[in-house]
Amino acid sequence: MTNSPADGELVTMTLHGHPEAFATLVERYDRAVYHLAYRTLQNVEDARDATQEAFFKAFRSLRTFKPGAKFSTWIFAIVYHASCDRLDRRKRFSNEELPERADATPGPEQQAIDLDQARRLRTAIDQLPEKYRTVITLYHLQGRQYDEIAEVLGLPMGTVKTHLFRAKEQLRRLLGSTEVTES
Amino acid sequence: MMYDSDDALDRALFALPLEEPPGELRGSILTATAYRPAPPFSLWEVIAIGAISAVTLWLVILVALGGGALFVNTLAAIARTMATGLSNVMVLGWLGAGAATALWLSLFTSSQSAVMLRQRFEAGRGR
Repeated sequence: MTNSPADGELVTMTLHGHPEAFATLVERYDRAVYHLAYRTLQNVEDARDATQEAFFKAFRSLRTFKPGAKFSTWIFAIVYHASCDRLDRRKRFSNEELPERADATPGPEQQAIDLDQARRLRTAIDQLPEKYRTVITLYHLQGRQYDEIAEVLGLPMGTVKTHLFRAKEQLRRLLGSTEVTES
Repeated sequence: MMYDSDDALDRALFALPLEEPPGELRGSILTATAYRPAPPFSLWEVIAIGAISAVTLWLVILVALGGGALFVNTLAAIARTMATGLSNVMVLGWLGAGAATALWLSLFTSSQSAVMLRQRFEAGRGR
């Protein structure tokens, strides 16, 4: 059994003058946070910046973290909002409607690689509209904890369940079709 | 592969590996947060340095404008005011109460829980 401190304890330690405890939180969540940012923004640079921004904001406003809350839900909410801000900025600076797959066009080498199951699933997720893509990514990260997904997205739980149902429906349709479009 | 049931799709989703973040990402996050170099002065030190600098400047200007007598008179007035304040029992009482409260708070709120958590944290990292 591991004796590593819980997230809440690491937050408390950071607040009590041990900032190195925050490093453990970064190690625990940077990959998941980046994953959510990347799935939302579909661009490596933007996802990296949003991830950095989220952790920086979390570090600066750690005092506002409610004791007893889940750190993962909190940091996911921060990165989700940071990603939405970036999407808004992207929309403002481009007159066109955002493409469904903003930056996911693979190069020729990539196209040559055989599609395995995970790759096909990723591609199918990328083809979902943004609201479904985010909800399915959070479902992937947080499992069936609908209340936490709702908290991250700031949506009623019923809406989350509806989005998830439709997202899965679309995913099944995309994956069941002859080939997932790899444009 | 077809995903006819919810379970099959769920299994595939939960088995999906997370995206690999760029190599330098963790380092840059840590540099900006946990391992950020401490500022050379704390907020209180900056305030104290600012206050001392302002008073020094004010005294220098006094000396420059009015010569030694004005400087000495001003210092005497400051000393008189401080002596009057510190000889007042009420003022001393409030100062004592403030100092005792600050000491009590620092002893019983931060140090104990922080030490315990730090020990667990270091034990966890050492594994």
